[in-house]
Amino acid sequence: MTHNNNGAPIMTLFTRGILLASVLALAACTNPDRFDSAGAGGAGGAGGAGGIGAPGSASDPRSPLYFQQTIGDRVLFQVDQSSITLQYQTVLDGQAQWLMTNTDYVAIIEGHADEQGTREYNLALGARRANAVQEYLVSRGVAPSRLRVISYGKERPIELCSDEACYSQNRRAVTVISAGLSS
Amino acid sequence: MMTRVLTLLAALLVLAMPAAAQTGGPLRIEITEGVIEPLPFANPDFVAENAAAAELARQIARVVSEDLTGTGLFREIPSSAFISQITSFNSPVQFSDWRAINAQALISGAVSVGGDGSVAVKFRLYDVFAGQELGDGLQFNGTQAGWRRIAHKVADAVYSRITGEGGYFDSRVVYVAETGPKDDRRKRLAIMDYDGANVQYLTDSNSIVLAPRFSPTGDRILYTSYESGFPRIYVMDVASVGRRALPTLEGDMSFAPRFAPDGNTVVYSLTTGGNTDIYRMDINSGAATRLTSTPSIETAPSFSPDGSRIVFESDRSGTQQLYIMGANGGEPQRISFGQGRYGTPVWSPRGDLIAFTKQSKGRFHIGVMRTDGSEERLLTASFLDEGPTWSPNGRVIMFTRETQGESGAASLYSVDISGRNLKQIRTEGGASDPAWSPLQR
Amino acid sequence: MRIGYYISGAGHIGLILWMFFGGMFNTPPQSFEVTEVSVISGAEFEAMMAGVQTPEVTTDVAMPAPELPAEEVPPTESQPDPTPPPAEPQVTEAPPADPVPQQPEPLPQQAEAEVSDEAPVIAPPPQEEVVLAPNTSDRPVPRPAERVAPEPVAAPEPDTQVADSVTEEVVPDEAAEVVREETEGGAPEEATTRIVTEAMEEPSAAPTTSIRPRTRPARPEPAPVAETPREPAPQQQAQEQPAQQPDRTADAVNDALRQALEGGAASPAAGGQSGPPMTSGERDALRVAVQQCWNVGSLSSEALRTTVVVAVSMTEDGRPQPETLRMLSHDGGSAEAARQAFESARRAIIRCGANGFSLPRDKYDQWRDIEMTFNPENMRIR
Repeated sequence: MTHNNNGAPIMTLFTRGILLASVLALAACTNPDRFDSAGAGGAGGAGGAGGIGAPGSASDPRSPLYFQQTIGDRVLFQVDQSSITLQYQTVLDGQAQWLMTNTDYVAIIEGHADEQGTREYNLALGARRANAVQEYLVSRGVAPSRLRVISYGKERPIELCSDEACYSQNRRAVTVISAGLSS
Repeated sequence: MMTRVLTLLAALLVLAMPAAAQTGGPLRIEITEGVIEPLPFANPDFVAENAAAAELARQIARVVSEDLTGTGLFREIPSSAFISQITSFNSPVQFSDWRAINAQALISGAVSVGGDGSVAVKFRLYDVFAGQELGDGLQFNGTQAGWRRIAHKVADAVYSRITGEGGYFDSRVVYVAETGPKDDRRKRLAIMDYDGANVQYLTDSNSIVLAPRFSPTGDRILYTSYESGFPRIYVMDVASVGRRALPTLEGDMSFAPRFAPDGNTVVYSLTTGGNTDIYRMDINSGAATRLTSTPSIETAPSFSPDGSRIVFESDRSGTQQLYIMGANGGEPQRISFGQGRYGTPVWSPRGDLIAFTKQSKGRFHIGVMRTDGSEERLLTASFLDEGPTWSPNGRVIMFTRETQGESGAASLYSVDISGRNLKQIRTEGGASDPAWSPLQR
Repeated sequence: MRIGYYISGAGHIGLILWMFFGGMFNTPPQSFEVTEVSVISGAEFEAMMAGVQTPEVTTDVAMPAPELPAEEVPPTESQPDPTPPPAEPQVTEAPPADPVPQQPEPLPQQAEAEVSDEAPVIAPPPQEEVVLAPNTSDRPVPRPAERVAPEPVAAPEPDTQVADSVTEEVVPDEAAEVVREETEGGAPEEATTRIVTEAMEEPSAAPTTSIRPRTRPARPEPAPVAETPREPAPQQQAQEQPAQQPDRTADAVNDALRQALEGGAASPAAGGQSGPPMTSGERDALRVAVQQCWNVGSLSSEALRTTVVVAVSMTEDGRPQPETLRMLSHDGGSAEAARQAFESARRAIIRCGANGFSLPRDKYDQWRDIEMTFNPENMRIR
């Protein structure tokens, strides 16, 4: 073995580094099963990322955390509206791109509404919003079979105050990704 | 000012004219104004005709009084004010004693308990000032376990006899019981007597449930549940608590279900491809028919009591408004035209009114309007009122009221259609989405 | 909540000042419900009334929480049982589908004998004075009150015995919030002119105080709240006061009429006690007296669409003879609804006539037989 001037075994360090990197690369394959079949599990898409063990994965462009935090997993809407503003079209462009790159993921798009409306209309409005996101993603090339849509109406707010500051956050469509079964 | 002048003018003219002399005919006057006040009644404890009935006699009389007082149309005179007592069901009534305390109606009752747990309750109702019985005395037979229902039936009979309205006390309400914080509400179906007694829970709180509705005979409940992961309509048999989902395609969402008066058809909303329209389905065969086909949202349908028409909510005009169409679809007519957004229309069981939720200027209201949209009247106003349901006699509306803010919670309220007697229905925890059963048989 | 006190105090001072100086503007203290012999047609009359009678009232007292109506009384329903009984929701054994009606034996007639010596029931003060609230620029809404009557009535003192009906809870919410302008004895309950729904309270910041009260017996009578309702003494006093209590301008008119009409007649005309014709004031007194007791609050909507004509014969001292009470005809509703309407009319006549209506004895022939038409058209959902 060659040694450096300090006597540390260089080769071992290098080998270790490679081994470490490959371990990290493998560990990046995760299966965050964020949503259960029970409706209560689909809380806002901001649920804790289960099972992602790799540190720094938010900067790993292949990770769902990256999708959530860097690209942005949600689109906000105006009152009673389901149209996607320019600002959020950019976000959705990013989402589409990510989905096209990471083809083994599927997504469910959750539509929500704020509390300023009646229960059933808000269910329909949330559905409209989720659907608007889905159609946009499809128009950017994502295969429709990878996308599902659900509405929670006003049942699952993330901000609880009764002001526009909170309402605007609740009027959202969240794209929640999960590893899909292959083909 | 003007009226004073006019009256003086009138007086002068009267002086000038020879007054019409009444030549022997009766004096005729017209009464066009009256008062609206709770009618004072006396309801002494029912007589226990055997010793075992003592407690029941007292309890039944209490429930009868509470039912009547709870309508806001009656006021009970406390027993401490009584001059004479009812000690025997068949002894004559000293009307003067009851007039003296200004009771206008008097209820006298008696209870006897059979050895097999059966109960017989009889009552008479008197018009104190006229000094006569109103209607016939009635007797109800039942079981001790069902004593509250018997009391409600007595109260219904008294209420009907005096007001002329149908009764509504022997009825139940199904609703969503809520617990937990606002961002993680636990919801489950619950059913109770209309006055809050005898609560039972029909589902667990593992999945979101919404907006239950009774069948026309009260034996089944339609509701929306996320049990499958997606909002879907279920029908539950109340007696057995057994349930099944109505057929919905994968990827679609169904919600807002209501029975048609025939009990075999369900009208509901279906969302497919992001678009929500109204459909009807035969509940037995599962065959579905689409009733609206527009890109707008159509939801919250409700049948007229004769089953010929459907009122629903649509935003096809740009904001949520109310529309009426035939039971098989067809061109809808808009009926709401005020300032604001209208939703959750519900047809009264009497067929004369439609109750609704209105949002206007940041407030929510429960209101009623005639079925052609005229005579709109708002009955409540608050941060968030929604989801009215009618009592079986079409006289009282129950609805959800939610408070604002982080600790906001929902509870049930009721109000008379005149707008009077707004009050809360106490439930164990939070409660929303009430639906009133028909009068029980 | 100090701000509430300040505003309330300012409002009351304003109200008092306005009572002194605002009265010149519009409060017609006389009745314009001249129905029988007026030149004004019914339609004109209604139009006139409608123009003035939107219930504008003073807004001088600011309510701290406008949308919290006084009617939100804690419910009287029993508490739900916390432990759900097992499984079946339909557990309660139903009574048979048709309750078994049992015809009880007819009551012995002795109850009828009691009619004559019943305890006194207050005839309420005659209400010829239609006191309408003064108009204000903003549109306040009358505060909800338990009782709705054509004339608004200020809430009496909490401990004042309520004439004509017994209350054990004299609408405590209203009583707490309103400063009494005057103490009153034996007054009718507080009343507003319209049913006030929660939605109607919305636009005004200040649901009203008591509306300008009518002239009232000035003598305070702190009878205890009606736990022991049968106090003949204060009731008698209260009864006499209204009897003594003239309605000023109505009486002025009456006096003028009487003088004019009786000027010629030196003595009661021959022909028994028919006397001069009934004056409109006398007819109005009777009408208003019956009105006070005509409670339509518990009538069904259909009964509220039904007009009934009721005939009754009177004794010489102005009391109705209950056995002569009968319905002559009805119009507008089913027979069942007519029955309800008739019963409420019957109660009105008997209750308020228990001590005799104030009808002139010398004209007894004219009012021995009376036909009253009860038309609830104006009372429907106000």
